[in-house]
Amino acid sequence: MKILVIVSQTQDTEAKIQVSAGGDSVDTADMKWIMNPYDEFAVEEAIQTKEKHGGEVVIVSIGPARVVDTIRQALAMGADSAVHINGDGFAETDPFAIGKLIASEIKKLGDFDVIFTGMKIIDEESGQVGVQVAEELGIPHVSLVSKVVEINADAKKAVCQKEIDGGHVVVEAPLPCLITCPDAMNEPRYASLPGIMKAKKKPLTEVGIDDISFDGLGFSKEAVSKEGARVKTTGIEVPQIERKLKIIKGSDEPMVKGEEVANAAEELIKLLREDAKVI
Amino acid sequence: MSNDVWVVADLKIDGTIRKVTFEALTEAKKKLVGGLGGQLCAVVLGSGVSGFEAELGKYGAEKVYVIDSDLLKDFNTEGYVNALGELIKQNEPAVVLAGNTVFGQDYFPRAAARVGSGVAMDAISIGLSGDNKLQIERYSHSSKAIQTQVFHGGATMMATVRPNSFKAEESPTTPEVISGSVELNPADISVKVLELETKASDRPELTEAERVVAGGRGLASEENFKYIYELADTLGAAAGATRAAVDAGYCPYDMQVGQTGKAVSPNLYIGIAISGSVQHFAGMGSSKVIVAINKDPEAPIFQKCDYGIVGDLFDVLPPFTEKVKQLVSE
Ligand SMILES: Cc1cc2nc3c(=O)[nH]c(=O)nc-3n(C[C@H](O)[C@H](O)[C@H](O)COP(=O)(O)OP(=O)(O)OC[C@H]3O[C@@H](n4cnc5c(N)ncnc54)[C@H](O)[C@@H]3O)c2cc1C
Ligand SMILES: Nc1ncnc2c1ncn2[C@@H]1O[C@H](COP(=O)(O)O)[C@@H](O)[C@H]1O
Repeated sequence: MKILVIVSQTQDTEAKIQVSAGGDSVDTADMKWIMNPYDEFAVEEAIQTKEKHGGEVVIVSIGPARVVDTIRQALAMGADSAVHINGDGFAETDPFAIGKLIASEIKKLGDFDVIFTGMKIIDEESGQVGVQVAEELGIPHVSLVSKVVEINADAKKAVCQKEIDGGHVVVEAPLPCLITCPDAMNEPRYASLPGIMKAKKKPLTEVGIDDISFDGLGFSKEAVSKEGARVKTTGIEVPQIERKLKIIKGSDEPMVKGEEVANAAEELIKLLREDAKVI
Repeated sequence: MSNDVWVVADLKIDGTIRKVTFEALTEAKKKLVGGLGGQLCAVVLGSGVSGFEAELGKYGAEKVYVIDSDLLKDFNTEGYVNALGELIKQNEPAVVLAGNTVFGQDYFPRAAARVGSGVAMDAISIGLSGDNKLQIERYSHSSKAIQTQVFHGGATMMATVRPNSFKAEESPTTPEVISGSVELNPADISVKVLELETKASDRPELTEAERVVAGGRGLASEENFKYIYELADTLGAAAGATRAAVDAGYCPYDMQVGQTGKAVSPNLYIGIAISGSVQHFAGMGSSKVIVAINKDPEAPIFQKCDYGIVGDLFDVLPPFTEKVKQLVSE
C-alpha cells in the first residue's frame, strides 16, 4: 500500500502567546515549533496501516526550512520518505493556496491508496486544508474519524467510524480516499533513538517554489504571500479575561471536609446568586 | 456575481432546523444585506425537506432554494458538496454562510474548494470592510487569540459561524421558493453509510446552551456521570465532558468540550473534576462565569475560574445539587 500523510509544523499554543509589532500576527521570535498534534495521530495511523498491510508511508509537508525538524520526527516515528515543499511565503499565505499546492505535489507522486491528515492545525485553526486537498485530487474524504475499522487494499475500500452529533456513523469509502484525524483515535508512538538515527538517512525530496507549475492552480507564484491571500488576517488580539478566583477551601487542609462541605455548597450558591447573578 | 447573501440551513438528526441558522439569517440581514444591496436567501438541502419556508421567512429569508433528494439523506457530504457547489455556480451569490457544526465543518470547506472560494471557519462576528468585502472575527491559537480576517478577490465569500454568537430575531417575510434547480447523480456518491446510530437527548445542545455542567476524569465511571446529569437537569443546562472522560468511556463523544470537541460560551460553566488543560479551555475559556469543583488545590483550573470549591466531588456535589434544587423549586 502507498500511504500518504500530510504533516504540518505548528506553534505550540500551550505556551503564552503575544501579538507581534505589526499587530496582525503572533510573535514567533521565541516560539517553540512542534508537529501539529492532530498530525501525530495521522502519522501513527499511517504507520499502523503499513504494519498491517505492508507498503510505504510518505510524508508531505509544506513550509519554511524549519519544517524539516517535524518531517524528521515523522520519519523517526517510522515513515519511509518525505516531500518538503520548501519556501518562506508558504507560512504566510492562506489555506486556500496551501491545499492546492499540497494537492499539486501529491499528483506528482503517482498512485496511492490512502491519505491521512490532522483535523485542523492548532495555531491558525483554519480547519479546511485536509478536505480541500481531497477535493483538488477528486477523491472522497471522511472527516473526524474516531476509528479506522478496516482498510482493504485488495477490495479498494476503507471502513471508518466517525462521530456525528447525537451518535456515530460507520461509512465505507472507496480507495483512494482522505481521512482526517481527531485526537484519541490511537496512541502516537515516540520516536526511538534508533528511529531518530535512521530518519537522518531516509529520502527527503525538497521542492522549491520554482519547481512548482502554477498552470491550472488558479493563482500565481506571486500570490503565495500574505498579500495574495484570499482571506487575509488583518489583525489579531489576545483577549485578557479577568477571573475572580474566589476559591472556597477547607480550614485545616485545602479540601473542604465534614461539616464544612454543606457550608461551602451554601456559600458557592450565594456567590452565584449575589455576586455573579447567574442562578 | 449577484449581491445576495445565502445561509445554508443546518439540520438536526431529527430533521428540524438548528438555531444557528436563524442566528446567521438575523446577523446577515443586520450586517451584510443592506451594505451589499442584494437579497437574503436560505438554502435547504436534505431528504424530505419541504415546508421550511415559513420558518426561514420568519427570520428574514426573502428567497429559499430547496434541493430535496434521497441522495442528501444522513448528512451525505458528497451530496451536499455537489448540490451547494452547483447552486453557487448557477447563482453566484456574494456571500454564503453556514453553521460551524460537526457537519458544517465537514462539507462546507470542501464546497468552497469546489467553487474556488476562500473560506473562513467558525466566525464569531461578521460584517463588511470598507470596500464591501466580508470581514469576520474568529478564534485562533487554541482560542487564545482573536483574528480579524478580510476577504479579497472576486469569488463568492464563504464562512461558517459559531453557534450562539448572534441573537436570532424575527423579521417576517414571505419568501419565494425555488425548488429542484440541481439534479444529483447517484454515481457521484461514493461513500456509503453502513451503520448510523443516534440517540435523541432531552437536554439542551451544548453549543446552544446558556448553562453547561461538565465532568472530567475524576468522575471515575459512567455510572457516576449521573451526578453531572442531575445537576445539569436541575439547572436546565447542557452536559459536557473532557476528552479524558470521553476516552475512558464515561460518556459519549458528542459531549466533549474543547479544541477537538465543541466550543461553548455559556453564561455559566461548571467544571467538575476537570484539571483545566489548554485543550479543554480552548472550548470553554470564553464562558462568562467559570466554576470549578476539584479536590486538588493545585489544579490549573483554579488559576482561571471565577468561583470554586476545593473538595471531593462525591462530598460536595450531592449537597450542592440538593440546594440548587430547593432554590429552583422556590
Ligand atoms: C490534540 C489534542 C486535543 C485535545 N482536545 C481536547 C478536547 O477537545 N477537550 C478536552 O477536554 N481535552 C482535550 N485534550 C486532552 C487534554 O490535554 C487533557 O488531557 C484533558 O482535558 C484532561 O481531562 P480531565 O481534566 O478530565 O482529566 P485530568 O487532567 O486527569 O484531571 C482530572 C481532575 O479531576 C480531579 N479529581 C479527581 N478525582 C476527584 C474527586 N473525587 N473530586 C474532585 N476532583 C477530582 C483531579 O484533581 C484532576 O484535577 C486534547 C489533547 C490533545 C493532545
Ligand atoms: N500551513 C500549512 N502547512 C502545511 N500543512 C498544513 C498547513 N495548514 C494546514 N496543513 C495541514 O492540513 C491539516 C488541516 O489543517 P487546517 O485545515 O489548516 O486547520 C493539518 O493537520 C496539516 O497537516
